[in-house]
Amino acid sequence: MTAYRLQVNGKQHAVDTDPDTPLLYVLRNDLALNGAKFGCGLGQCGSCTVLLAGQPAMSCMVPVSVVGARPVRTVESLGDARQQHTIGVLQQAFIDEQAAQCGYCIAGMIMQATALLEREPQPSDARIRAHMAPNLCRCGTHMRILRAVRRAADRLAKDKR
Amino acid sequence: MNRPRRKRHVKRWLLLAAVIAAACIAWIIMWRPALAPQTAIPSFDDTRIARGANVATLGMCASCHTPDLSRPFAGGKPIETPFGTVHSTNITPDAATGIGTWSLDAFTRAMRKGVARDGHLLYPAFPYNHYVRMTQADIDDLYAYLMTRPALDAPARPNDMTFPFGLRPLVAFWNLLYLDDAPWRPDPAQSAEWNRGAYLADAVAHCAACHTPRTLLGGPDIKRQLDGGEAEDWYAPALNARSPSPLPWTRAQLASYLRTGLAPDHAIAAGPMQDVVMLLAQARPDDVDALAAWTHSQLARAPVRETPANTPGPLPAPRADDPELAAMRLGHALYAHSCARCHDAGRAASSGTALPLQQAIALYDPDPRSLLHLIDDGVHPPDGEAGRTMPGFRNILGDEQAVALAAYLRKYGAGQPAWPDLDDTVRKARTP
Repeated sequence: MTAYRLQVNGKQHAVDTDPDTPLLYVLRNDLALNGAKFGCGLGQCGSCTVLLAGQPAMSCMVPVSVVGARPVRTVESLGDARQQHTIGVLQQAFIDEQAAQCGYCIAGMIMQATALLEREPQPSDARIRAHMAPNLCRCGTHMRILRAVRRAADRLAKDKR
Repeated sequence: MNRPRRKRHVKRWLLLAAVIAAACIAWIIMWRPALAPQTAIPSFDDTRIARGANVATLGMCASCHTPDLSRPFAGGKPIETPFGTVHSTNITPDAATGIGTWSLDAFTRAMRKGVARDGHLLYPAFPYNHYVRMTQADIDDLYAYLMTRPALDAPARPNDMTFPFGLRPLVAFWNLLYLDDAPWRPDPAQSAEWNRGAYLADAVAHCAACHTPRTLLGGPDIKRQLDGGEAEDWYAPALNARSPSPLPWTRAQLASYLRTGLAPDHAIAAGPMQDVVMLLAQARPDDVDALAAWTHSQLARAPVRETPANTPGPLPAPRADDPELAAMRLGHALYAHSCARCHDAGRAASSGTALPLQQAIALYDPDPRSLLHLIDDGVHPPDGEAGRTMPGFRNILGDEQAVALAAYLRKYGAGQPAWPDLDDTVRKARTP
């Protein structure tokens, strides 16, 4: 067991765990942040996607030992209707497009999309498609998910004007 | 008084004459006439078209001319070269934007001399220095195939060349140096299959375009034929006695690799080689077998080496007296926490396990580029294709961690001397 200090969603956390523990397990089991989901555990489905220093990373593939001082952000950072009574633009867009069916992939989808919109606020449809490609939805709501990301991008562009 | 002035006059005239002569010679070297446009596309019989499809597949036309699968042969792929970015062009029979007005003569001249129908010189990103040795029958068949594809409207995208390479006539001097139009000759000492493979590898599939290093002028360094080159910033391994493969390739492995991208217990195709094997999967199987026969004969020249690949298993912890102990410990930890889960899990090949890392050829390459691409981007089969996947670690490992992991794998996985400039290569590979 080794002591790690992690910065998650703007807060410092101390955890004591084995160095090869996936970040996903630390988030869910130690920090009770259950947004990111365990899907395949092999970095092939994206349901555990979080932001690591602003970049999308599949947290099942991230040993806690490599995180270091890099800030981690999970879907909880975007807004939580129960606690803060607000949710983020992307979350609202996913609701508006009814992009979730079972919902298991959605936290990962939203974080993957967050990484895109933070760097490229007005992506083309082709860019959205390419960027979202690593994340799978086994219910098959990909078309709605793409529409939701489009809607969020358009909304953010409108708010800026 | 008079004599020196006359001498000066003579000198001036001589200089002028020399300049005019040089200009004439340059004109002769650089200028090519336009060939008359054809007004209608000829018709072709089906067997020719079918043979042409096989030539197009083996010639890898689509790997540059079909960046968008929904628009076959419409071109538009940017190709980075040391001299600027060249865009592949539309080779569908569209009269306005493709090659619909090209007669067979014009097409043959482009394939053999690198000259477009209107007389402008094509950039050698188009491998006419290989196609020049294609048989006329193959060129005829290829023409029949391309001329019967759907015509698509796709104007050429402007190239972005660094000065002075935007001047196409300069390519004429490249051609003087590198365009060898001696016809391909079979080796009578070898089997028909070997000769078929040798012909396909050289004149059609142009393997050497990536697997032979290039000179500063971007031409093949023929003294180092198949010594290993590069493609899209990946190291393209040597296909001769210098093959980096730690275990000798068997012919069966090569045949399987070229047809499916997967050689069990030996290698999987990644990077630009994925496009190649995808196309070979559509070619005639006997042709791909011939390619495998020829390639195997080249790779068989590599000496059998004593490497860690013969004794696969989990990689060891760094030795206590390792001069770079801290970095190697970091590399070992990263290996144990990230790589070993799949690569050394001791599972059978059918249950999603990966190659033991001692057998991974990229660890034995003379430079780390391919390994870094694999670590950062993983392996993803092309859209819609089945194949092995590996997740990429670009956003997971920081630069220092990627350097430590690559250095550790090189030393304790392959037992090879450290790569020079590994830090710089990592930083360069990760600069967007």
